[in-house]
Amino acid sequence: MRISHRDDKALPLTDGDQMLALRDLRKYFPIKEGALQRVAGHVKAVDGVSFDLNRGDTLGLVGESGCGKTTLGRCVSGLTEPTGGGVYFDLSGSVQQRLDELLVIPPSDRTEAERSELDQLDRLHRVDRLSRDSWRHYRRNCQVVFQESFASLNPRHLVKDIVGRPLRVHHEASGNELTARVVDLLEQVGMGRQHLFRYPHQFSGGQRQRISIARALALDPELLVLDEPTSALDVSVQAQILNLLHELQQEHHLTYLFISHDLSVVRHMADRIVVMYLGRVAEAGPTETIFDQPMHPYTEALLAASPDVTAAEESMQTLEGSVPDPAHPPSGCRFHTRCPVATPACGWDVDDVVRWLEDSDGMFDALTGVTRDSEFDAWFTFDHAQDAGRLGEALRSDAVPSPMRTALEEVTIDRNRIRLQFTPVDPVELTERGPDHVAACVLERRERSI
Amino acid sequence: MIVETDGRVTPPRAAATVASVIDLRVHFRSKAGTVHAVDGVSFDIRDGETLGLVGETGCGKTVTARSFLGLVPIPPGIMAGGSILFRPHHTCPSCGGPGCEHCADGGRIPDPCPHCEGAGCERCAKSGQHTIDLLEVPETEMRNIRGDRIAMVFQDPDKALNPALSIREQVAEVFYLHRSDELLADAGIDEGDRGVAPFLIRRKARLLSRRPEDVLLSLPPLRAKRNQLRMVTRARVADALAETQIANPSKLMERYPHELSGGMKQRVIIAQALACDPDLLIADEPTTALDVTVQARILELVKELQQRHRTSVLYISHDLSLVSRVCDRVAVMYAGRIVETSATEVLFSDPQHPYTRGLLAAIPAASHQRGKLVGISGTVPELIDPPAMCRFAGRCPYEAELCRAADPMPASVGDGHEVACFIHDAPAGANGRPSFDRRVR
Repeated sequence: MRISHRDDKALPLTDGDQMLALRDLRKYFPIKEGALQRVAGHVKAVDGVSFDLNRGDTLGLVGESGCGKTTLGRCVSGLTEPTGGGVYFDLSGSVQQRLDELLVIPPSDRTEAERSELDQLDRLHRVDRLSRDSWRHYRRNCQVVFQESFASLNPRHLVKDIVGRPLRVHHEASGNELTARVVDLLEQVGMGRQHLFRYPHQFSGGQRQRISIARALALDPELLVLDEPTSALDVSVQAQILNLLHELQQEHHLTYLFISHDLSVVRHMADRIVVMYLGRVAEAGPTETIFDQPMHPYTEALLAASPDVTAAEESMQTLEGSVPDPAHPPSGCRFHTRCPVATPACGWDVDDVVRWLEDSDGMFDALTGVTRDSEFDAWFTFDHAQDAGRLGEALRSDAVPSPMRTALEEVTIDRNRIRLQFTPVDPVELTERGPDHVAACVLERRERSI
Repeated sequence: MIVETDGRVTPPRAAATVASVIDLRVHFRSKAGTVHAVDGVSFDIRDGETLGLVGETGCGKTVTARSFLGLVPIPPGIMAGGSILFRPHHTCPSCGGPGCEHCADGGRIPDPCPHCEGAGCERCAKSGQHTIDLLEVPETEMRNIRGDRIAMVFQDPDKALNPALSIREQVAEVFYLHRSDELLADAGIDEGDRGVAPFLIRRKARLLSRRPEDVLLSLPPLRAKRNQLRMVTRARVADALAETQIANPSKLMERYPHELSGGMKQRVIIAQALACDPDLLIADEPTTALDVTVQARILELVKELQQRHRTSVLYISHDLSLVSRVCDRVAVMYAGRIVETSATEVLFSDPQHPYTRGLLAAIPAASHQRGKLVGISGTVPELIDPPAMCRFAGRCPYEAELCRAADPMPASVGDGHEVACFIHDAPAGANGRPSFDRRVR
């Protein structure tokens, strides 16, 4: 797997057998307001994610809730249409190389020929723009297993109908042959003929998840999107399902996109891991590398927070604060608001001051308005001159994080108004940290000391 | 455990326990028959300890917890037997909380029995401590215990908070219900005060006031008093919220549950639970609905508050790795029974029941080869009229003839380590007994 951002030309292009390639994938959800449902802003659920998924591999996608991992899974499986960028399927080495070359060119600079070539590639490979036949081909080859097994099985259908439905839709089988195929599928997931004429509610959670997997396998797909397949299950049942998934992968040469928040499960299942934070990739690399030498402070925090029976009790580290609003993601590195090793170069901006005011007593109520010239430059207006003075003083004291103090270039106080100017910072891009290992952090590991 | 095989109950040990569950049986009536959800569970919660209750879905851990507070719906529930003895405590008068010689560093000492004044009588089983059987108390008294002496934190913070009330109103309710006298004293209303204003305020502080009374209280002559009550309540709510490290509590308490994140909501619920400084906190999977990073913070918070308040905690979870972090002792439940009880370190380093071993082995670890996780085969048995045999028989890799013929009882295998399995009873493998040396499959 190779990770790159749209305008990152430094990384070499790869050949190889790719199952799936994500290029600058974006999915924004509009926030609608008022009687006219005017669009007031966008929740940036997935905001520029690129990675490759090799055939036969398992890619683990981890992150906290709300980081966009499920939305990404839905984009990959074609359940939602991305806002920008694309999911490319079934690219051969040379085609992918050509695609990457074309995508690097900014849209306005593309010639007519390049545009039509890209269009043609899109019709053949881009999931949301596939032609009718390719779309049918893709739908057969990409199947999903959802977290909530009860919600994803129709309670009024028999197991035979549920598992047989994909075969019927694609005119694969009917009548006795259909029943035989369904029994075969059920046997593959450790169930049998006796379960054919039962309803979903008659099964335990583990069995229902097995039925979901059988249904996903019906058309002999190449790619399975597993969206938290074991989160709702007990450990002993989880172990059975994980073993089953591994067996099936070996048998059918499946490719998995394994979405989970449980690091121990992902560590067990995945060959490679992508860590997401607020719609972006924070770090990506081979499983052992991520676990042994994490390069992003967020990955480190995730690893430290996840409980482990074998770990020493004192090792539990916690992360300050909560995930910021994805409608207004922090500038620079999105993690800097909670980062234990944040630097002045991490992208401190006006919103950080607003967040700080919200948490400090009384100050926020005195604030009447913020006039922004940019993300890094704004006028704060208060009720009284002394409040502005208090903020000015606080910003120079230990009350605010010291990197933020350093990033603050200029403070101008004008009666009840105060102007804050921060050092402008570009978004932090993914940089290479080792073979196949990228992270989006301004620091090198050796510079940090946690 | 304190229940003998023949059901004879021995008096509780002298060691200070805040609650003892003795042979608890909770059944549910269903169309198919009686479900024995909790079937002979016994354990003690010692003063100031955190006891973990672990088990898989449907093993009866939540029903056990709900029995403490009379929250099991009856019908279909049937309290089929046993008792839950609860001993209310008060803060040690000589040290005021931090722990001294008088209270054996516990910070709290048990209330004396109101019938024998501490001398020891039949009602308190000769212990001299105030003992309440939570399964016997009338509903009115249970209402006084709930939220005051025993508090509970539920799994889903979304469902535990009322979406129509602000955080302030919800937390204040606890004070109105259990601390109304203190609130009135703070607001400057003495017990002897007569007149319309004290009467109405008193009713307001006890959540008895009706709409017209509220209207009266909002009129100028009475408004001052009402505002005073409001202010003291507000101060108490802010203190309670600040306990759980909520930044800027006075701002947060005017918000509604939907405006808060999951972790924040769980903090509010913990603040609510600890508002009256309970003797026992029951935490029913408090972090299951939260992210790992938030979970770690909530765990740390519970741990810290528990140490500060000297509250005993019954921590219910399905996650063994969590329990290993927060609990002093652990009880493992399976199919309505407790199969193993021991100190946390012992349980994780030297598990003795095949089920505990299976659970620990099923957690994916770095050392496991992919596809080689050792799950527990089979599924949890139906609990409808179960036969008298080991409940784990059929899934147990060490099963022997005896396991299907008789029901194992918890027996001590070491210091405070009790296991309900025949494997420890006799020479290994002799006369049809199970042994760790032999695997059936």
